[in-house]
Amino acid sequence: MKRTVVIGFLGTQLDYAGKGSARWEKWRPSVALCQQEDFIVHRLELLHDARSRGLAERIRLDIASVSPETQVLSVERELRDPWDFEEVYTLLHDFARDYPFDTDKEDYLIHITTGTHVAQICWFLLAEARYLPARLLQTSPPGKKDIEPKFSAGRYAIIDLDLSRYDQIARRFAREHSDNVSLLKSGIATRNAGFNRMIERIEKVAGHSKAPVLLVGPTGAGKSFLARRVYELKRQRQRLTGRFIEVNCATLRGDSAMSSLFGHVRGAFTGAQTERPGLLRAADGGLLFLDEIGELGLDEQAMLLKAIEEKRFFPFGADREVESDFQLIAGTHRNLRLWVAEGRFREDLFARINLWTFELPGLAQRPEDIEPNLDFELERHAREQGQQVRFNLEARRRYLAFATSGEARWSGNFRELGASVTRLATLSHAGRINEADVEEEIALLRQTWHTPSARDLVAELLGEQADALDPFDRHQLDFVIDTCRRASHLSEAGRKLFAVSRQNKRQPNDADRLRKYLARFGLSFERIHEMTPQERV
Amino acid sequence: MEPIELDGSQGEGGGQILRSALSLSMITGKPFVIERIRARRARPGLLRQHITAVLAAAEISQAQLSGAELGSSTLRFQPGPVRGGEYRFAIGSAGSCTLVLQTLLPALWFADAPSRVSIRGGTHNQAAPTADFLIHSWLPLMRRMGVHDTLTLLRHGFYPAGGGEIEACIEPVGALRPLVLDAPGELVSMQARVLLAGVAGDVARRELGRLRERLGPLEGRIEALPACEGPGNVLSVERTHAGLSLLFTAIGTKGVSAEKVADQASEAVLRHARSGAAVEEYLADQLVLPMALAGGGRFSTSTLSSHLRTQCAVIGRFLGVDFTFTPMQGVVVVGVGELAG
Repeated sequence: MKRTVVIGFLGTQLDYAGKGSARWEKWRPSVALCQQEDFIVHRLELLHDARSRGLAERIRLDIASVSPETQVLSVERELRDPWDFEEVYTLLHDFARDYPFDTDKEDYLIHITTGTHVAQICWFLLAEARYLPARLLQTSPPGKKDIEPKFSAGRYAIIDLDLSRYDQIARRFAREHSDNVSLLKSGIATRNAGFNRMIERIEKVAGHSKAPVLLVGPTGAGKSFLARRVYELKRQRQRLTGRFIEVNCATLRGDSAMSSLFGHVRGAFTGAQTERPGLLRAADGGLLFLDEIGELGLDEQAMLLKAIEEKRFFPFGADREVESDFQLIAGTHRNLRLWVAEGRFREDLFARINLWTFELPGLAQRPEDIEPNLDFELERHAREQGQQVRFNLEARRRYLAFATSGEARWSGNFRELGASVTRLATLSHAGRINEADVEEEIALLRQTWHTPSARDLVAELLGEQADALDPFDRHQLDFVIDTCRRASHLSEAGRKLFAVSRQNKRQPNDADRLRKYLARFGLSFERIHEMTPQERV
Repeated sequence: MEPIELDGSQGEGGGQILRSALSLSMITGKPFVIERIRARRARPGLLRQHITAVLAAAEISQAQLSGAELGSSTLRFQPGPVRGGEYRFAIGSAGSCTLVLQTLLPALWFADAPSRVSIRGGTHNQAAPTADFLIHSWLPLMRRMGVHDTLTLLRHGFYPAGGGEIEACIEPVGALRPLVLDAPGELVSMQARVLLAGVAGDVARRELGRLRERLGPLEGRIEALPACEGPGNVLSVERTHAGLSLLFTAIGTKGVSAEKVADQASEAVLRHARSGAAVEEYLADQLVLPMALAGGGRFSTSTLSSHLRTQCAVIGRFLGVDFTFTPMQGVVVVGVGELAG
C-alpha cells in the first residue's frame, strides 16, 4: 500500500495556539489532519519561514504524540509576503520542480486549509496543471453537533481535480454531452458508426476550440445544417453571442465578392453610394459559415486569411482596419489539397482551416441512417405543412428497400431525400403514402440518377459558340445555368445568384439582372429549362 | 489449518470481536479470518486503533497478515509462536494503550519467556478501560488466577494530547486457576479520586461536591498532574470490597459540565450497588477470557451487555468452552467452562 504524504503550509494563525495545554482545546489543522481515525499521514512536509521555526517544532512534537506513525519534516523557505501572488507561485513552483516525487510508492496530498488564500490559489493552479502530482486535502473544524471527543479533530476531505471521478459530476457531463450530440444530430438517432464518431468529435471541438473547422462532403451532405447546429450549440453554451452568417462562396464573384465579404466604404467604387459592413463584420462575435470555400477567388482568400489570423482587415477602399472576431466554419466538396497543388487554393489558407477537418459522408455511404432521416423529414413536413403524413407499412418497406439499395445513388444526398419525401407527402392521399406513390417516386429517382452526371451545360446550350468564351465567362455561365436549372422560376434563380448584393437594394431587381445576363449569350430561363431536362433536387 | 471464520458485524459489531480474536488466535495458534469488520458502523472497516492492535499482535506472534489496511473489511491473521521479550509500541491518541495491552497480555502469559511491554499513547480514554481500572480492579483478580504481572502507569495520556505511557511486566504462567465471584463481599471502603491536568482546580471541587450529594459522604482525593500532561480530567470512584475492588469512572470532556461528569460516575456506582452483583459491567467483559482459559469460572454481574455476549461467542469459537447466563434475583450469573450451568 502506498504511503500517504501531505504537503502544506504551517498555519501561522490556525496552527498557533500558544504553548499551554489549552492548545489542545483549539482546532489546529496541521495537527488535526494527523488525528483522523480513518486516515494516516505517513509524512507531513510542513512549509514555513524562519520566523515560524519555533511553532513548527511545537507542532512537530504534538503530532509525534497524537500520531506516532507520522514523520514531520520541516521545509524552511524564505517568504517575504505570503499575499504576493507572484512570490508565492514562484516559491511553490520551485518546490514542485525540485521535490523528488515517487508516485509509485507515495500518494501525495496538498493540505490547502492552512496558508493564505493566495497560497490556496497557487496550490490549486499547480495541481491542476499537474506540476504537482497530488490531490487537494481540506480539513475542517468540528461542527456544533460533533460534541463526541472522537470528532474533536474535525473532518477531512480529499478533492480530486479529475472531475470524472465524481459520479454526480460525471453523470452531469455525460448528460450534457449527450444533449449536445443530440442537438448536433437534430435529434435524429443516426446509426452510422462513422458518422456518430464524427459528431462526437465535433461536439468536443465545439466545446473546447474556437479554431476554424472545415467540413468536407458532397453537396447536400448536410454541411450547412451541421454548421448551424454547431452555432446553436455554441450559443447555448454562451460561447458565442453574435449571429450565424452563412454564405455560399460560389455565389461571390468579382468586385462584389470582396465587398460582400469585407464590406466597403462609401465611394470605394462606382455605385458604392453607401458604406457596407460586409459579412465578416456581420459575423462579429458569431459564426461565419463559408460554404464552397474552394470557389473563393485568390484575392479574397488572402484577405480572409488575414482576417482569420489577425481578427482585423481592410474593407474595400478603406484605409483603416476594422475588427471582427468570429468562429469560422468552411465547407467544400472539393479536394482542397489537390486545388492547392494546382495553385487554385492558397496553401497558407488551407493550412489555417485544415486544423479540424471533418468528412461528411454522403447519404449513400450511410444507408443505415436513411430510415431515421426519413422519419425526420416526415416530421419536418408535418411541422412545416401542418399535415401528418404516414407510409403504409408495405410502402415504407418498399421505399426503404430501394433507398438503401446500391441502386440508389442519392447524388443530391440529404437534400435529395428531403425533396423526395416532400414529393411523396405532397402527392399522398389523405396523409397516407401508398405503394403506388412509392413506385412512382422510385421511377422518378431512377430516371434522375441515370442521366449523365457530368454534363457540359454550356456546350449543350451554346454549341460551338461556347468555345469562343473565356474560361472566366464560361465558368460563371456554367454556374448560372446550373442555378437556373435548379430553380423553378427566374426570380428564384435571381435571388440565389444575387443573394448578397440584393440585401442592400431597396428594390431588388434580380430577375431583370439575370435576364439581361442570360440575354448576352442568347439565352433565357425558359430556354435553359427546355433544352436541358429537369432534375429538380 | 482452516482459519476460523468470524463475522465482524455480529453482536456489538465493533473492535472488541477483533481484539478478542487476536488474543485467542495467538494463544491457540489457530488462524482466523474476520469479514464484514464493523460493517454496521458509520465508518466501517478497520480504523487506525484497530490496525495498531493488529500490528502489535502480529509483532509478538510473528503472524502473517492480509487486509491490515485502513478501511479494510476483511482481515486474515495467521499467528506463529508467541515470543516473550522487550516490546515498545506507540499509538495515536485516539487509540488507547489499554486496549492494545488487553489484546497482548493474555497471549504473553503463555509465551516462552517473560516480557516487558511499553505502550505510549492514551491511558485514560473515553470508551476504553482506563489504566487505573486495569491496575486496581482487573489485575488483582488476575493475580488470584495465577498471573504474576505488574502494570505501571508511567505517565498519563488523555485525549487528544496523548503522550501517556504504561509499562507491563509479564511472567509466563503454566496454567490459570478458575475464579468464582458470586457475591461482592463486604464493602470495606469507598473512595473518590479526581485526576486533573491543565484543568482548573475548581472542576475537581465541583465534581467531588456533586458526587457527595449523590453518594453521601466519602473520602475524595484530588491528584494534580503537571499541566503539560493535559488537558485531562478523570473522576473515579473505587469501591473496595472484601474480595475485590470495583472502579467506576467518568471522563471529563470539553463541553460537559463537572456536575454532569459526577452524575455519570455516581449513577454507575448506584446502579451497580443496587443490583448486589459482584462484578460491574466493564469488569465482566474482561473476566470471561481469562476464566475460559482457566477452564472454569463464575461471577454475578448487574447486566448482560451485548459486549459480553459477543465476547463469549468469539471465545466459544476458539476454545469450545460453554457459557451459561442465569438470571437470579436482579443479577445475571455467568458460568464459564466446568463451572457453567
